[in-house]
Amino acid sequence: MDLLPSDEELSIAQTVAELLHRELPRELLRERQNEQTSISAEAWSICAESGLLALGLAEGSGGVGFGLVEEALAFREIGRELAPGPFLSSVIGARLAAEAGDTELVRAIVSGDRQVGLILPRAGATFDGSVVTGEVELVDATGSDLLLLLRPDVSALFDRASFASALPWQSIDPGVRLEVATAVGVEPVLAVVDSAELWARAVVLSSAILTGISEACRDASTTHAKTREQFGRPIGVNQAIKHRCADMAMYSEAASAQLLYAAAAGDAESADFGYQASIARVVASRAAISNAEANIQVHGGMGYTYEHDAHLYVKRARVWANLIGSRTFHLSAVIDEIRVAA
Amino acid sequence: MVDLTFSREQNEFRDEVRTWLAENAPTRTRPHDYAEIREYDLSWQRTQYAGGWAGISWPVEFGGKGLSVIEQMIWYEEYGRAGLPGMDATFVGLNHAGPTLMSRASDEQKSKHLPPILRGEVIWCQGFSEPGSGSDLASLSTRAIIDGDDLVVNGQKIWTSFAHLADWQELLVRTDRTGGKHHGISWVICDIHSPGIEVRAIKTMDGEAEFAEVFYDDVRIPLANVVGELNQGWGVAMSTLAFERGTAFTASQVRLASLVEELVEIARTRTGPDGKRAAIADDEVARRLGMARAEVAALRAMTYVGISRSEKTGTPGSEGSIVKLYYTELHKQVAQLAMDLLGSDGLRFVSRWMNNGWTGEYLASFSLSIGGGTSEIQRNIIGERVLGLPR
Ligand SMILES: Cc1cc2nc3c(=O)[nH]c(=O)nc-3n(C[C@H](O)[C@H](O)[C@H](O)COP(=O)(O)OP(=O)(O)OC[C@H]3O[C@@H](n4cnc5c(N)ncnc54)[C@H](O)[C@@H]3O)c2cc1C
Repeated sequence: MDLLPSDEELSIAQTVAELLHRELPRELLRERQNEQTSISAEAWSICAESGLLALGLAEGSGGVGFGLVEEALAFREIGRELAPGPFLSSVIGARLAAEAGDTELVRAIVSGDRQVGLILPRAGATFDGSVVTGEVELVDATGSDLLLLLRPDVSALFDRASFASALPWQSIDPGVRLEVATAVGVEPVLAVVDSAELWARAVVLSSAILTGISEACRDASTTHAKTREQFGRPIGVNQAIKHRCADMAMYSEAASAQLLYAAAAGDAESADFGYQASIARVVASRAAISNAEANIQVHGGMGYTYEHDAHLYVKRARVWANLIGSRTFHLSAVIDEIRVAA
Repeated sequence: MVDLTFSREQNEFRDEVRTWLAENAPTRTRPHDYAEIREYDLSWQRTQYAGGWAGISWPVEFGGKGLSVIEQMIWYEEYGRAGLPGMDATFVGLNHAGPTLMSRASDEQKSKHLPPILRGEVIWCQGFSEPGSGSDLASLSTRAIIDGDDLVVNGQKIWTSFAHLADWQELLVRTDRTGGKHHGISWVICDIHSPGIEVRAIKTMDGEAEFAEVFYDDVRIPLANVVGELNQGWGVAMSTLAFERGTAFTASQVRLASLVEELVEIARTRTGPDGKRAAIADDEVARRLGMARAEVAALRAMTYVGISRSEKTGTPGSEGSIVKLYYTELHKQVAQLAMDLLGSDGLRFVSRWMNNGWTGEYLASFSLSIGGGTSEIQRNIIGERVLGLPR
């Protein structure tokens, strides 16, 4: 048993962080906000070439062959760096294609040739495994060829062209593109049933993004608390600020410990993988949202500006808290277990 | 490398522990009377020693098994899972005074004091806090002056857990008043039955008498009982404060997890807030229980991270304060949730040592964010030592 990442594991995360920092600096989020896609085609292929989309895929399927732990550590950096682009849906999309045995599609996705956006069905929309019907949201699908609809029971990839009538809708987050569409009996190009493991992996990766966001906010607040002076002293000497930072550290520590636990449970193929993943999402959502919100307060007036990064974390946290199941959804996964056994 | 699996040896070790505990754990409930508690806790420690289970991660030379902190953690996990009584009276000896002596005492002090702790012969208590020095421990003023080969101690300690059952006390005294407050403190081994010591039990809000005040009137303690150097006791005390929050903590975490499961059971069987359906059918109740369950799982992950860190670096580090804070606040919430679930049964006092001792548990939970450093002080430590914020 070991829940402390090794130097080697941390160096993978470090490499990813440097790549994202270099290729997707945060200023780009504001600069590109009126562009059609949140990430440029060039940046996407650079990230793909570095192997970022294939970390957790087996070598036999054209992947790098790392575990979910390494993949989660990489996605924590995606969250920390606020990297835009459909990373999670493409990584999971490639895995779905691999499970369905479509090696050509796997190659096309991980090489960056084909992007996969995410379908978020709205209340009332249905997917019975063969067709999707109803109102859906498309997340970061403006540069995508494929769309992923992910559920524990059945998951599928759709052709983006089947949603040609989708209309753009301004997203709360300048780094995320949103569209709304109405599907009438749209058929997938590829579907797999019993996708609980795929789902749980996506839950872990989304928890990783949220954990990364929470840590970035903890660090931003801590740095500001050390440097900003009022009444002749750094604001961090005041316990109202210091204890807020301590609580941020506590939420982040819980999120990151449970993230590693859930990822390792996935790698060990534990029976409770899905359960541990949901718990990781519950604590990571809380960490991301409360740290991001507190971070604005710690920064004062500057934290309320569009120019400062603080709001970007709040927005990204709120986006991810609703993708791959909401916090309430994952909490009910825990509750159901209590109720079902009754 | 991040990995959840235990080695084959560790799994075998776990099986052995489980079997041994099932066959040897005390069957009698822990008594109430303090003289009996002393005998109960010591005799259970002697049973563990005789079975070869005492001091799992203590070095062999002091009577321990010389295994790693992982095995020690496995022991506590199984211990907690078996629902065995907390080893409250032996805690300071095993988890605080013991490790301090191991890292700072002279060979003579070690060989005299360490083996009796494992053998279940002695109870240790911790005499740090004073009426005027709680959170600000370094301001302590119990005085000791050198007279020949002895220290002569005058002053008062307070909140000393189990002082009235103890044989030995790890005592912090001021031996020099000329320097800064952290200088001039000495860490002393004190025979609590020395002439001039008076112990008066203090009743706590749950009706127990867990801690006591201790008065020192010209108490003579041999200079040979100073651990580390004279006037350097602050460093000695700080060197092992982290141990308190190390592996021993696992048992509390596991116990909290089973409290949550008991609450789930209560929510299934009791009528809920609407007076008709089971409590679990109520969304608010279910949400709070679900959250408690999720948090307890995260707490286990945090404990594992801490133990992995100890295993690698030899100390759980200041991050231990994060786990302590998280645990404390969570345990208090669980106790509050229990009170909300109990309804009118919340009127009846039931000691936490008894079955369904929820009201006792609730009353005792207030101590968690005070003892061992208050939650406010933990937040200061996290802010200053983990995050590096200015004082
Ligand atoms: C059950 C129990 C068992 C104990 N066992 C022992 C034992 O065996 N041996 C021993 O030596 N001691 C023991 N203690 C004592 C314990 O360590 C002290 O109670 C604790 O350190 C707080 O000190 P105090 O009670 O003097 O409170 P104070 O320090 O007076 O604190 C009062 C309040 O002020 C807050 N406060 C104080 N300073 C600050 C600050 N700088 N910033 C923000 N808030 C602050 C505190 O958080 C608290 O809320 C025990 C206590 C309990 C409850």
